[in-house]
Amino acid sequence: MTTTGSAIDVSHLTKTYGATVALNDVTLSVGTGEVRGLLGPNGSGKSSLMKTIMGLTKPSYGSIQVLGYDVRMSPMEIKKIVGYVPESPRLYEFLTATEYLDFIADVRGLPFEQKKERIARFVDALDLEGKQGDMISSYSQGMKQKVAIIGALLHRPRVLLMDEPLNGLDPKSARLVKELIHGLAREGVSVVFSTHILEIAEAICDKLTILQGGKILAEGTSKDLRENAGLPGSGLEDVFLKLTGTKGVEDIVEALIR
Amino acid sequence: MRLSVLLKFAKVLMISRLRSTRRSIISKSITSRPILIALIGSVLFVAGLFFGYETTVFLGSGTSLTGPVAHQLVVTIFGGVPLFLVGFYFTMGLLWEVNASTEAESTDAINWLPITPGEYVAASALSTSYTYSPLLMVAFGYSLPIGVLTGNLAGFLLLVPIALLSTSVGSVSVEILRSALASASTAFNRLGGRITVIMRIIGIILILLVTQLLFSGVFLIQIISSLVGTAAAASFVPVFWPTLTITKVLQSDFLGAAGFLGLSIALFLLLSYVALTLRAKYWAVTPAAIHFAGAGSVSGPSRLGYFGLSSPSIAMLKREIRSATRRKEVVRLMAIPIIMPIMISFPAIFSPAPSSTSGPAQIDPIFLVIPFLFGIGLGSLFLGMTSIGQEGRRLWNISTLPVSARMLVKSKLLFTSLVSSIGLGLGAVVSALLLHASMFVVLGFLGLGIMVILAESSLGIAIGSRFPDFSDGPRPRFVTVVGSIIGAVLGIAEMAIMALPLILSFILRTFFALLIPLQFVLALSGAVGGLLAWIAYVLSVKPVDSILAELPN
Repeated sequence: MTTTGSAIDVSHLTKTYGATVALNDVTLSVGTGEVRGLLGPNGSGKSSLMKTIMGLTKPSYGSIQVLGYDVRMSPMEIKKIVGYVPESPRLYEFLTATEYLDFIADVRGLPFEQKKERIARFVDALDLEGKQGDMISSYSQGMKQKVAIIGALLHRPRVLLMDEPLNGLDPKSARLVKELIHGLAREGVSVVFSTHILEIAEAICDKLTILQGGKILAEGTSKDLRENAGLPGSGLEDVFLKLTGTKGVEDIVEALIR
Repeated sequence: MRLSVLLKFAKVLMISRLRSTRRSIISKSITSRPILIALIGSVLFVAGLFFGYETTVFLGSGTSLTGPVAHQLVVTIFGGVPLFLVGFYFTMGLLWEVNASTEAESTDAINWLPITPGEYVAASALSTSYTYSPLLMVAFGYSLPIGVLTGNLAGFLLLVPIALLSTSVGSVSVEILRSALASASTAFNRLGGRITVIMRIIGIILILLVTQLLFSGVFLIQIISSLVGTAAAASFVPVFWPTLTITKVLQSDFLGAAGFLGLSIALFLLLSYVALTLRAKYWAVTPAAIHFAGAGSVSGPSRLGYFGLSSPSIAMLKREIRSATRRKEVVRLMAIPIIMPIMISFPAIFSPAPSSTSGPAQIDPIFLVIPFLFGIGLGSLFLGMTSIGQEGRRLWNISTLPVSARMLVKSKLLFTSLVSSIGLGLGAVVSALLLHASMFVVLGFLGLGIMVILAESSLGIAIGSRFPDFSDGPRPRFVTVVGSIIGAVLGIAEMAIMALPLILSFILRTFFALLIPLQFVLALSGAVGGLLAWIAYVLSVKPVDSILAELPN
């Protein structure tokens, strides 16, 4: 293990799937206690980046270090300290929420008392109380998302990777998760967070990274991005559309309506 | 019924089978197209021609085959093909074609597209028929030279439509099974709690047992023959009707042939009607909404810890058991190692093998080993092969946890062995009660059975981890087509290697009066099994490691 100043160091990362280049020479550094937002159009490489940091897919080229551990050399160490919420999580539908969380906690080696206390606390906080004995197959998308979020937080991760975590959540739960992310960051947890909702990204994240075609297009605070785009007084949506080169939205809508 | 919709949908189902391959040993462009099946069929047809020609020439001693030998050959082959095809299509369907999860079925595009139950059943049966058509082609290839060289070309020309009818009967029966399993999985949801799970397991096992009994014909013919005599019994068993159509023609009994042809067509129409009715009734499967009393509280320390299992290992095992008992598509798999030995050993149970001793209560151990251990081994192999692919799109749950490849393989092996042991236990009970085997033989059988289970489960996991099918589409198999073929061949070869000491000792005793102690023979077979199990386990770890490090797209 080597010690670096940042929690996540991605260096010249390239990931290809056959002829498709998902990530192209990405270099990124996320500090301890920082909340980093990943923005980008569909297929820009946000999920691929998160999966590669988590060790769910191997880098084709380049290196990734998480709290000093190399993803390729120490995958088990990284799995112990990282929490991950995938986009549209597929949970074990044949388990109840409690059984699922119980399984996660046991595999992560949480002592009984700690496991009991944390599961109860999270289930209560995310309004799953009374439903935790039902099979997950009967849950709504939002409820499944809540279970996945709890599963990622149970072991007190030092790094949290969340791919569109607010998908399907009701306003109260979404607000709760946003506050939770802030609170975790204050405790020194580094969070990488992807979303399509730019207002949320601006509100939650310390820094934003805009990806397109597997490359980093722009990086910095929302203020930095506005200045880079030459739109200092505009909303983040205009900045995003300008940086990603999405033009003529009105013409496209007109064509679709026709 | 719209033919274009039917063909398009059948093609989609075929593609869903072919494109679930994680990695392929042949170029992707060929494996991803249904034409692959036709190509394999063509090759097998030519191979069948060769073997059919060789068989006829061999039996005719170099000249054209005529007389009673020719007639017997034609009756056996032409009559056997339809019966074999019905059984084969049904068994393949049972093993591979009814895997769709409730989750996938309830959200399938088919639920909201304007496709009628008739179109669904026809397209699904057509795709099943086409998937296994290479076997049909090899049967045609084998029969053609026999027909030509024995002067029975007309018999061959009749065999073609009868064989196609038999495959249709088998494929439509799979559709009935598909709907019956869906109904068993949803019908008990109303009960709630653990009773639902137990009832569903019993329901699915009963459906599998009853349908296998009906389509194997062995059980029915035993009952009917006791009432009307062996020769006439076959006439009352529907699965024999296509065969009887052929044999009656070959006996120049054209009226009888017409009667059985009519009955065969009526059987197909009846099964189609049942399949259609069931599909219409159980169209969209309701996802289970079961509440477990007490499942809202976390589990305490497990007693399994006393056996030296770590907390993560116990958690993995509990997850496997819950998956097996609560997932419709997995309950069926779990039933197979239990049902398989019983099904395979039916002939042995109903027609006890010759005794090796003068007393009426003893049976030669070789007659226990072959049916029971072969069935248990096949069941273990099948369960092992499908165990990795069962993770499906939920694999990320394991991949993000600190679970090593060894731990995952061990949990799969432990679970597969536990389930197969139930089949082994049943086998031991049947051996003791119905076949009157001695306690010594039963204990030897149990010991060897454990090694067979370990060897076949490990081999199954090694194959399943190299050829996993993680797709959640309409026709998931959990293991690719190529993997299932390789696995079946290797699994049978492995059992043959394990059985070698027993077979050798039988030959030495029968032909050379050389008696080798049974304990020694069983121990040797067991040791061979243990070695094979260890090799397969080692070979499983690396592919599982790479699966955990690279989630399938």
